[in-house]
Amino acid sequence: MIAQRPNLNNTLAIALTAAAAVYVGWKISQSPEQAVQFAFNGLSVGAVYALLAIGFTLVYSTVWFFDLYYGAAAAIGAYGVFYLRSQETLGGLYAVNSIVVNVIFAAVTAGVVAWALYESVYPRFRARVDRSVLFGIGGVLAAGTGVYTGFLLTNPKDLHINLSPVIALGFAVLVTWLLYQAYQGVVAARVLQGLVVITGAAAAALGVYFAYLIANAPDAKLYLSWGVSCMLAGVVGLAFYRGLYVYMRARSQSPLIMLVASLGILLAITALTSIVFESTPRPLPEALGNDPWTFAGATIKGFNVFTVGVALVGFLFLLYLLKFTSFGKSVRAIGDDEEVSKVVGINTTTVIAVVFFIGAVYAAMAGLLSGHDTAIQPRMGLLLLLKGWIASVVGGIGNLYGAIVGGFVLGMIEQFGIWDLAGEWRDVISFVLLILFLSFWPKGLLPRK
Amino acid sequence: MQAETEHDRSFTQIVRKPQALVAAARNNVELWANLLIIGWALGFMLWQGVGFAITVGTVFAIWAILSVSLNLVVGFTGLLSVGHVGFFGIGAYTVAILTSDAKYEQLRTEAIPTFGWPFFAALPLGVLLAGIVAIAVGVVFNRFRDDIYVLVSFGFAIISFNVFLNWRNLTRGAFGIHEIPRPAVGSWVLDRELEFLIFALALLGLIMLLSWLIVTSSFGRVLTAIREDEQAIAVFGYRTTHYKLAVWTISAMMAGLAGGLFASWTRFVDPNSFILLESMLLVAIVILGGLATIWGSLLGAMAFVLLEEGMRFLPFLPAIHIGQARLVVLGILLVLLMLFRPQGLVGRYRL
Repeated sequence: MIAQRPNLNNTLAIALTAAAAVYVGWKISQSPEQAVQFAFNGLSVGAVYALLAIGFTLVYSTVWFFDLYYGAAAAIGAYGVFYLRSQETLGGLYAVNSIVVNVIFAAVTAGVVAWALYESVYPRFRARVDRSVLFGIGGVLAAGTGVYTGFLLTNPKDLHINLSPVIALGFAVLVTWLLYQAYQGVVAARVLQGLVVITGAAAAALGVYFAYLIANAPDAKLYLSWGVSCMLAGVVGLAFYRGLYVYMRARSQSPLIMLVASLGILLAITALTSIVFESTPRPLPEALGNDPWTFAGATIKGFNVFTVGVALVGFLFLLYLLKFTSFGKSVRAIGDDEEVSKVVGINTTTVIAVVFFIGAVYAAMAGLLSGHDTAIQPRMGLLLLLKGWIASVVGGIGNLYGAIVGGFVLGMIEQFGIWDLAGEWRDVISFVLLILFLSFWPKGLLPRK
Repeated sequence: MQAETEHDRSFTQIVRKPQALVAAARNNVELWANLLIIGWALGFMLWQGVGFAITVGTVFAIWAILSVSLNLVVGFTGLLSVGHVGFFGIGAYTVAILTSDAKYEQLRTEAIPTFGWPFFAALPLGVLLAGIVAIAVGVVFNRFRDDIYVLVSFGFAIISFNVFLNWRNLTRGAFGIHEIPRPAVGSWVLDRELEFLIFALALLGLIMLLSWLIVTSSFGRVLTAIREDEQAIAVFGYRTTHYKLAVWTISAMMAGLAGGLFASWTRFVDPNSFILLESMLLVAIVILGGLATIWGSLLGAMAFVLLEEGMRFLPFLPAIHIGQARLVVLGILLVLLMLFRPQGLVGRYRL
């Protein structure tokens, strides 16, 4: 149905690509400096698109419906940073801190923590400890996390101090767990426990030291806000999956129903963002690497290099997660056939919920990186979502390698495309590219096997 | 189709046993939706007076034309298009550019050509232009379906918005076009709101009649068949792409008509009326009212307009937030509908 006349299509596609390549080659030979500049811009824009596309691909290739909350997550990521740092941005002129917002996020976080405890810890102790005791402890823990989140959001000025205990704890737990994993095959079981305790104590001491360093570094606030706002976007994404999509998918298998429902979510969140923060564009505070470097006659900011690095690291992390962990195996199994994975004993609800969390974190990261690069406005979420979607179509839908390639290709083509046109036409360029790809190359650059 | 037979069965029951009327009415969402929305509209009119009803009525007529036209594509043919605002904008801008002969200060903006056409010459041209663009777009879009169709229709909305915003020496970009005249027949200008309302309602009636003729004809039955199973109807020898293209073009021309009406009613157009969010709003209205019913589209548009106007009287909601608050309410409604009633209030088809 899609390719009715493959021969003509192929000829046309090749002719178009060749013409574009010749034209760009001619332009590059005319002014190489400018070309380098556009290539740099393309890389940094493409990194954001690639980040969006990999998260998008992860979610899409697991559940096979388009979750438009993904765009809202990008906006939440960017506006979360603005919210936490609004005192420092523009001299606090548009400082926002609304009790309603804090309470909502606190409640959502508490709910998600309660769910996570119920799914992960509760089954282990169910046989040994009384139900009401477990529920009581879990409830207190969840409520405590919620209150802590609310507290963080209410006092963004002291974020580095307020977050430091969590950093110490998190560092200690993470290092101990990693060492435990590393020891398991190597050390005899007798020694294992003692070794873990000793290294755990060392890790805790180191964690406390890090926390002390961070508590004395007000500059870290911005980067801590990145973390907090990514986490919040992820938590909201998880909550939407567990609290809404699960029931919706149980009722109907049609992907369009899910798409329309998430359209409603996107609509509501975008509008709420414009109510809380007005709809005019706002800048984010200065981040690292704002001084431009000159390189081969073109300027590039350290921040853009950092963005590219984040995209690559994010890609490698996801690749590791999907290829080499049991979690990744279950994700791929669910992507192949959800019913069968359920039958073989994968807890599909939990795994997909975590996938939604990771996807939303990626979206939020991309949103805040692009927000630092340009400006933020409530509508940005939808546009970023569409760019990520296009990048994943260009790269080959449902393929992780395709996603990162597609992101960079889209960024490059967009930037080289505005060489002759003005910058405001870049959305048009990416959609024209999408339509060309769908018409001539519907499987994308790297088709999913 | 299913809902209709249920309805018929309950009707015969009522004839046989009048007590069943209460039982039938209790679970009849359609009945309640109709009663609630029409009652709400009447109550509002009585409360706020005739002048208010006239203003709201015109807004309703424009939204209703749009949603009836979109329902032809989304409800009857099953193509979920989120890009309809593009055609709305084409109609509006054509009428605005052709009829307006405002003189602007040449300090900050570029000059745009003035034509000074009468409204009734510009409107058909706007409709025609929307149709021509729809044919060009539809030929490309016909290959796609489901998710990808949604994505490319998003793309159409974004491209048309960017054209409105950036083709500055035709549309004046973000400054917009002012002083668009009201429709006039000879020396009789439809300047009063009531006259314009009657004009708009007449057009709405025309559009409804046309849609009704389309969906009850054999053409409409082929569309329904395409929605249910495109390959099956293709096997019977119907060129489905032609049918899809035809209904898409007709629907786009109706949206262009609504656009022309909108431009001459507000007397001012700028790209912000044609953003993607408006398009998503329109889809929400169509789904809220009900897919594959003309009456449902009217009901959806009425509910939306009442919602918007009703919000003005909420004491805790500042006036500047109304435009966003309606999006919030509609978004939440959309989620609830998808969860509990995917065919919309009085719909005949589930997505």
